[in-house]
Amino acid sequence: MKTIPPPCPEPESGPKYWRSLDQMADTPEFRQWVEREFPAGASEWTDPVSRRHFVQIMSASFLLAGLGLAGCRRPEEKVMPFGKQPENYIHGLPEYYATAMPTRSGAVPLLVKSSDGRPTKIEGNSAHPANQFLDSEGKPRKHSGTDHFAQASILSLYDPDRAHRFTKGGNEINRQLALDSLEDLSKKFTPTAGEGLAFLLQRNSSPSRARLQALISQKFAKARWYVHEPIELNLPQQAASLAFGKPVTPSYRLERAKVIVSLDCDFIGTEENTAQFARDFAAGRKISKSTDSMSRLYAIEALMTLTGANADHRLRLPGSAVVQAAALLAEKLLGAEGAALVAAAKNAGPLSEKQGAWISKCAEDLLKNKGASVVLAGHRQPLSVHLLAHAINSALGSVGTTVTFQDASPDKLASLADLVKALNGGTVDTLVIVGANPAYDAPADLAWVDAQHKARTVFRLGYEQDETAALCDYQYPAAHYLESWGDARTFDGTLVPVQPLIEPLFGGLTELEFLARVAGLEQNRAYDIVRETFKGLAGGDFEEGWKKFLHDGFLANSAAKQPALAPINFSVVAEAISVSAVAVPTRDSLEIVFQRDHSLDDGRWNNNGWLQELPDPITKVTWENVILLSPKTLADLGLAAQDHISGKSVVPRARLEVGGRAIEGPVWIQPGLADNTAVLALGYGRKRTGRIGHGSGYDAYALRTSAAPFVASGAKLTATGETHDVSTTQNHWLMEGRPIIREANLSEYQKRPDFAKALNLEVPVFPVSSEPTQKAGAEEPKPLYPNPLDEAKKTALHHWGMVIDLNACVGCAACMIACQSENNIPIVGKRMVGKSRELHWIRIDRYFTGGVDEPQMINQPMLCQHCEAAPCESVCPVNATTHDQEGLNVMIYNRCVGTRYCSNNCPYKVRRFNYFDYNRRPLDQLYRSPILMSTEGEWELKRWFKNRDRGSRPEDEWELLKLVKNPDVSVRMRGVMEKCSFCLQRIEQGKIAQKIKATNSGEMGNVEVPDGAIQTACQQACPAEAITFGNVKDPHSSVSKLKAQDRNYSVLEFLLTKPRLTYLARVRNPNPEMPDYQQMPLSLKEFSEKNGNPFESHGEGHGESEPHVEKGAR
Amino acid sequence: MAEIVAPPANPPGLQKVHSAPTFTVAGPPAELVRIPLVENNHGPGWLSDTIAGIIEGKTPRWWWYAFIPSVLCLTMLMVMLTYLISTGVGIWGVTHPTMWGWAIVNFVWWIGIGHAGTLISAILFLLRQRWRTSINRAAEAMTIFAVMCAGIFPVVHIGRVWFGWWLLPLPNSNSIWPQFRSPLMWDVFAVSTYFTVSVLFWYVGLIPDLATMRDRAKNKVRQFLYGLFALGWTGSNRNWSNYEKAYLLLAGLSTPLVLSVHSIVSLDFSVSQLPGWHTTIFPPYFVAGAIFSGFGMVLTLVLPLRKLFKLEEVITIRHVELMCKVTLATGSIVGYAYAMEFFIAWYSGNPYERYTFMNRAFGPYGWAYWIMISCNVVVPQLFWFKKIRTHIIIVFIMSIFVNIGMWFERFVIVVTSLHRDFIPSNWGYFKPTWVDICTYLGTFGLFFTFFLLFIRFLPLIAIAEVKGVTPQADPHTVAGGAKVGGIH
Repeated sequence: MKTIPPPCPEPESGPKYWRSLDQMADTPEFRQWVEREFPAGASEWTDPVSRRHFVQIMSASFLLAGLGLAGCRRPEEKVMPFGKQPENYIHGLPEYYATAMPTRSGAVPLLVKSSDGRPTKIEGNSAHPANQFLDSEGKPRKHSGTDHFAQASILSLYDPDRAHRFTKGGNEINRQLALDSLEDLSKKFTPTAGEGLAFLLQRNSSPSRARLQALISQKFAKARWYVHEPIELNLPQQAASLAFGKPVTPSYRLERAKVIVSLDCDFIGTEENTAQFARDFAAGRKISKSTDSMSRLYAIEALMTLTGANADHRLRLPGSAVVQAAALLAEKLLGAEGAALVAAAKNAGPLSEKQGAWISKCAEDLLKNKGASVVLAGHRQPLSVHLLAHAINSALGSVGTTVTFQDASPDKLASLADLVKALNGGTVDTLVIVGANPAYDAPADLAWVDAQHKARTVFRLGYEQDETAALCDYQYPAAHYLESWGDARTFDGTLVPVQPLIEPLFGGLTELEFLARVAGLEQNRAYDIVRETFKGLAGGDFEEGWKKFLHDGFLANSAAKQPALAPINFSVVAEAISVSAVAVPTRDSLEIVFQRDHSLDDGRWNNNGWLQELPDPITKVTWENVILLSPKTLADLGLAAQDHISGKSVVPRARLEVGGRAIEGPVWIQPGLADNTAVLALGYGRKRTGRIGHGSGYDAYALRTSAAPFVASGAKLTATGETHDVSTTQNHWLMEGRPIIREANLSEYQKRPDFAKALNLEVPVFPVSSEPTQKAGAEEPKPLYPNPLDEAKKTALHHWGMVIDLNACVGCAACMIACQSENNIPIVGKRMVGKSRELHWIRIDRYFTGGVDEPQMINQPMLCQHCEAAPCESVCPVNATTHDQEGLNVMIYNRCVGTRYCSNNCPYKVRRFNYFDYNRRPLDQLYRSPILMSTEGEWELKRWFKNRDRGSRPEDEWELLKLVKNPDVSVRMRGVMEKCSFCLQRIEQGKIAQKIKATNSGEMGNVEVPDGAIQTACQQACPAEAITFGNVKDPHSSVSKLKAQDRNYSVLEFLLTKPRLTYLARVRNPNPEMPDYQQMPLSLKEFSEKNGNPFESHGEGHGESEPHVEKGAR
Repeated sequence: MAEIVAPPANPPGLQKVHSAPTFTVAGPPAELVRIPLVENNHGPGWLSDTIAGIIEGKTPRWWWYAFIPSVLCLTMLMVMLTYLISTGVGIWGVTHPTMWGWAIVNFVWWIGIGHAGTLISAILFLLRQRWRTSINRAAEAMTIFAVMCAGIFPVVHIGRVWFGWWLLPLPNSNSIWPQFRSPLMWDVFAVSTYFTVSVLFWYVGLIPDLATMRDRAKNKVRQFLYGLFALGWTGSNRNWSNYEKAYLLLAGLSTPLVLSVHSIVSLDFSVSQLPGWHTTIFPPYFVAGAIFSGFGMVLTLVLPLRKLFKLEEVITIRHVELMCKVTLATGSIVGYAYAMEFFIAWYSGNPYERYTFMNRAFGPYGWAYWIMISCNVVVPQLFWFKKIRTHIIIVFIMSIFVNIGMWFERFVIVVTSLHRDFIPSNWGYFKPTWVDICTYLGTFGLFFTFFLLFIRFLPLIAIAEVKGVTPQADPHTVAGGAKVGGIH
């Protein structure tokens, strides 16, 4: 089929087809129709979110849905009902399109589910070469893991508060008028070749943008280009380019490494490309038997991060002292050739003796594993640390093995500071801002707002009505990436398409269109621009290649080349290293570390409810940022923060002052933090944002200067005397010595492969099995009430079960968002989280073990365990939760009356209750009775009688909210219990698909779903592949194989609930020579202190109970 | 006590005068003389006049002072329930993991209070405890109103109140039945049966007195209404014979219910596997606690009534003392149960169980636990002293402590067990909201509104029965009456 250009919301002269809704609206016939039928309603066209508008959008996207293979687009004829059934379109069946989410330096290749024309779920594109890998057995595998940002990005598409108006001076103007202004702009600058024109961009990897930039530079030779990223993740590339003398980007192959050292590099949590990192790291940590080897991670960091939590050894240092550690490592590892470099780095000063010993032993371990070791430096560290890391890697022979370098394009964009200089110098007449939001996130010392006022005119394309939008003369709404044509390169350099799944909901422009229009280029439709770029990049049959490109979601063999590199130039590196003596932070002169927020990044996800409600993986705080301090610092300052024992989280507020600037925020104890260090997360405290982000947290950018973007010193903290209520999803941070998360050191595991089961509790001796004994004549006592599942098990084809490998789980929480997206889980708001009423079906439990200063942190995903003998089922008075034959504990929402007894009787407390109508009601008005409420001028009760299916949210919010829902999952009303269903809808789809396949292939009986065909949402999103789901009846399924491992255990096995979800115990791999070596993990130590050493007392009391437990735990 | 409850010699309505004995018979030795249950040797007429006079007389001013706030409280309850049902259970303090909060605490508490009435009227009746007659009517009324208050909570605490009827085993086209394994299901049967039988029992006992009221009525409306509910009672021997049989049968029927209803309520907890709930001691312990709290509430209600209506001669110090003894006995059983729970938690060797009990006493809710211990275990021990048992004001104050203590017992069981269970990441802290508090106070409005109406319009002491236990009713006593083993 010939590909016809896709929709573009841009009227052109004499269109043959309607190319956009606006165009359709512009036809006289259509106008007439509108006016004839609803004379008054015609004005609704200007209202972007009226119902009518939605009907248009939906009908338009309906057509897109019927396109069969990705990219094979039909001619656009916008007729509401189908005149002809589109090929391959089956109503109700979702379609999948390959696209990509652009990030700062790359892109996440995606496969997006479209339900009747609206994108509803995002998955990783497992066909992409970066997602192909060899597993531990050397078999080729695919994975579709993503990070939580990609999962949550779909909600931003339907954000009712995103920018949807074209404005001039803050007033809405006609779209056409706004576009004309761009034309005027290009006309104005054409004669002067762009004199006085400045562009401010954000970083991205789009080749089309680079091409466009070159084209514009040809036309406007004097136009200047600037880039602004509040969190610059480009340092590894800069350092590598400097060290090797040519533009290259490093990429790390952690799965090949035996020893990994992180220099303040939170590669699992807050660096770029974390999903890939998590997968590779987990690959090196996965073991299937006690004789397997695993990698070892050393983390040196100021704040407690996910990387630190996953580390075998963790050294806490102030952020400014990491350079000392790097210098010491370099000293131990670099030979004579690195002497100059070491000398330059040594200016930082020495570490304490204990810390020095730590580094020395760590260096020895690195040396022992030459070629299989790697050192990573994080974005918070200055260039010098990155250079040292490259030098160390080079000296360790890691280049080419655990670190590879690929060609990169040189960075030609000037910085925001340069732009401010130019603005203040009066040389910028017109400023064009594309995406960036400097009015919020520019360094405080640049005084951006004043500088921006010095430009005569400011044009801006933005996704939100944000701080910068308020200051601009012209604001254009930007299209979401799911509404845009574009392209990008993933981290390996592979070209990926960004293709739309829906027409721009609010008529937004893409970056490419916007830039092309500013420059007045002939070719100003994003689709054409991208195709043009593709033409230049791909050889061969263009149309076929393009179709394949869109279908596959990547261009094969387009990865960046890995150049042969000359050895690192130590003298250049030594010269570039500038290190000054490090001042030790004290109580009166605190050090501040600015953190890229795990949920909001630099603030770009501020109005995303899923991410706002996603608890921070370490603090578990939601909906705001806090000032993190170590327990000792807090005590020194005489402040008392949250009480982790009673779970009360009313904390004092404090004022943090540095360099004459100050912020105020709640203080929070963070175990494991470097002393005298305050950690501030960026991205909160927005002054202008949507309804979700409004009022969340404080603005840490107010303290941030261009000189000290990540680590600032000399701060002073004083209590304000006020208190603050912080909402967390987990109040208690100790595991109380209970064997819930089980772990052991590798050496112990080798000695005692069954250590996980040795922690089982004694169970009462009584018959637990009702299976008939094989021995003839043997009469086994039958239980009084046989479990009906035991009978059903004999005939059921599938027994669904799940295994979570705690060794692989890094705690990134991508699963939580994936689950939220798949299962229509509403957000509940800060106040509700404060009452522990969040609705996440899967949560990540986090415990600190050991002391508060040097704790170990452990994670465990906790979700419905699908117990075979489920305690929730027998107590429900209305049979609303029952078991199916395949072993699923199913929840019947329609039947639930909400006694909540099931939750009380659930030992894992994984059932969540709808205390209010979270889906239908505005979150800030939950406590108001609908009897007294009115929405949009109408009494709520009257509205309800008129239409019971309508919520009491404002119309715009309500209409958009509905679009994001997965049509395969019921949306729950208030008063019902809900919980993980093992993605029942996916199981059913998989079973139906297999039945159809069996029918088509003639093998009618072959209805057993093959292993791996059904993936739960959490499993699919997990970048570390820690979750495995499948049929436990099939002994060859991967889930059965994992359950057969000796590390397999079930939580609270002694209750004999027989969970179908089991865990693989965690194994740590500490180095016995390290000064902080612990004989056993601290959680195990706590367990032993309470219950006696499980390995020594074994055989006395526990022996007889074990066979029962094993039976029960299966 | 070998005394037999003798039926009244004559139908009370007809007996207007009695004559004093004119001859002397040597009485029994002093140590065998029973203290009469009605003091000062009053005759049946005096009893009728005194008790019926309460209803027939002018409404005392204090009644209005009590009634108006009660009605306001009742209105508040209605407002709170409307708010609750229209908005969602979230307006209460219930959270995750404490999914049951004040609603269930209040439910169990009110049900417990509702125990004393039927215990007094049924079990003490079967045991021939004649002293029960002075207090059984009020206690039964208290039972009914307390069960009404209790019944509100499980209905409204559910998420979707409008589907509450799904708990009833109604035939339907989908053949969906309630789940008979669930203790909540058993609750539905236990509480509704208990309520029905209690109402019947109370009403049957009222019939002779309603007839008395009818006969004494001075206006048509009263006469008609009392007459309507008196079901044509004539006081004939046949009436009495049927009445006695019915009463005895209902007493027999109620007796197991007294034991079953709270046992079943306790199964809500003990059937679950939650540490702190999963205990076999619960059924007897709950029943003892219920009787304990029921007697506490009877004391709280009866002591002021006795004073205000000047009924000291009918509800005597001896009655008060006997009730104090029951309270002491049941309070001690409850105290034993608390100790036993701790012992078993330790003896089980289960760390989760042990933690729960340590946490009860020394955790964040330790204050509630110690309030419970002081009110339920320590305070009743004072009843060993006769001086205290017979000091009306102290008994009144202590009865209020018992009520408070028993509320906290339910709070401790429900909340402290739930707030920290197996997996520490779930742990939380439950705090009630103002709606919780107002709803609870509102049920007092309901209770007292009904109770005040009851004492205003119905005889609060069973006139006919009290007459039957006066010496005059026994023709073989000094005052003339039947011997032991006479008719019954």
